[in-house]
Amino acid sequence: MQRIVCPERDDWHATAESAGFDFHTIDGERYWDERAYYAFTLDEIERGIETPTAEIDAMCLELVGHAIDDENYLRRLKLPEAFWPLISESWHRDDGSLYGRLDLSFGAHGPAKLLEYNADTPTSIFEAAVFQWTWLEQAIERNIIPKRADQFNSIHERLIEVWKKLGGAHHLHLAGMTENTEDAGTLAYLEDTASQAGLKTTLIDIEDIGLRDDGQFVDLDDRPIELAFKLYPWEWMFHDAFGAKLLSAPTRWIEPPWKAILSNKGILPLLWEMFPNHPNLLPAYFEDDPNAARLGTSFVRKPLYSREGANVALVSAGTTLVEQEGPYGAEGFIRQALAPLPNFADQYPVLGSWLVDHVPCGLSIREDENPITGNTSRFLPHAIL
Amino acid sequence: MKRSRRVVLTLMGSAAIGAVSMGLVPRRDCGPGNEAVPGTGGRTYCRPVYRGFGGTPGRLHGHAHGGHGHGGHGGGG
Repeated sequence: MQRIVCPERDDWHATAESAGFDFHTIDGERYWDERAYYAFTLDEIERGIETPTAEIDAMCLELVGHAIDDENYLRRLKLPEAFWPLISESWHRDDGSLYGRLDLSFGAHGPAKLLEYNADTPTSIFEAAVFQWTWLEQAIERNIIPKRADQFNSIHERLIEVWKKLGGAHHLHLAGMTENTEDAGTLAYLEDTASQAGLKTTLIDIEDIGLRDDGQFVDLDDRPIELAFKLYPWEWMFHDAFGAKLLSAPTRWIEPPWKAILSNKGILPLLWEMFPNHPNLLPAYFEDDPNAARLGTSFVRKPLYSREGANVALVSAGTTLVEQEGPYGAEGFIRQALAPLPNFADQYPVLGSWLVDHVPCGLSIREDENPITGNTSRFLPHAIL
Repeated sequence: MKRSRRVVLTLMGSAAIGAVSMGLVPRRDCGPGNEAVPGTGGRTYCRPVYRGFGGTPGRLHGHAHGGHGHGGHGGGG
């Protein structure tokens, strides 16, 4: 793995905007950054990232199989008891998953290590699937990168294939917080792929979902919502006003309710319990577990529910070195062993390894001066050389 | 990982690859459903927006009214 400085395409802003990628710059700061790219060998991709990604996903599914009807697991994850039947039924009904993203530490020493699993509402898929591919094609044409360069990326075509499987003859609603620029972009992109799969689609703000007196969720035209993709975390769905109606409504959700288990940071200690010393896992414990002392005085502290690095703290020799502010932590914390991220020119990259229908199929990279990847981290493209 | 792949957008974007512009305005992003709020030391941080699913008034639909009741859209709290 290398970080290679390279010239930017002089027209990339216009290219991004013509593709609907208007959040390439956020608050005047670069989000998309092609002043450098990360280069991998094919062996690093296949054996270092793709294979471990499939293995971690398989371990996660095994964990869900254990946890789904086990009160002990569900309580440790602080999942609200009222929704255990919803979660369980979705698993036993085999409700399908569209996608997920594993965040990995890779490139420092040894094998890839799982930092966390964005199993429920991963974003940055448009940049990963489309815009970094456009970069690859144009960068080859313009001799910015070698002509032999390739990319670990079949996300787009995989999404279209999986929509055919998940969608059937249903009308698909895509719901989320459409006033959020990045979420709107993610929803628009996924709607595009669903449309290319032949599905009829309706985009709707999560706040615009209605509830009929027969218990059916409906859209603004009173069309029943049979199948909905939601870019909105399950833990918020559970607590929102319509949460209690989820159990009786016939809507099928993507991601399915059982993903509420995997989007919880509590899976990190549970995976470590089930698969101790697995080479792609880091030692992790619930904070109230006496075994957490095994990590000593250096660890990463993460809330069970957290997004974009919020409330994550990096503790070294008992001293908090870096801490991201945020509102999370009421449900408790886990501690995970420190996995030093590789340092390239004082930048810390985290790899996002994408799964579509449980198949590893793409890579994205977020880079930051801060060793905790947050919402201001920049997205850099990658190439296989 | 095949160089012959074609990535085509049919709804998203404009001009060469689509017909509809999203008209998005760049701003600070905090991930799904989050909002940026002022923090200590002049920094901002992200927190969830808890209006969400069922949070807008007027979204309980009664068949007896013969129509849908989305009139409360835009409120919240």
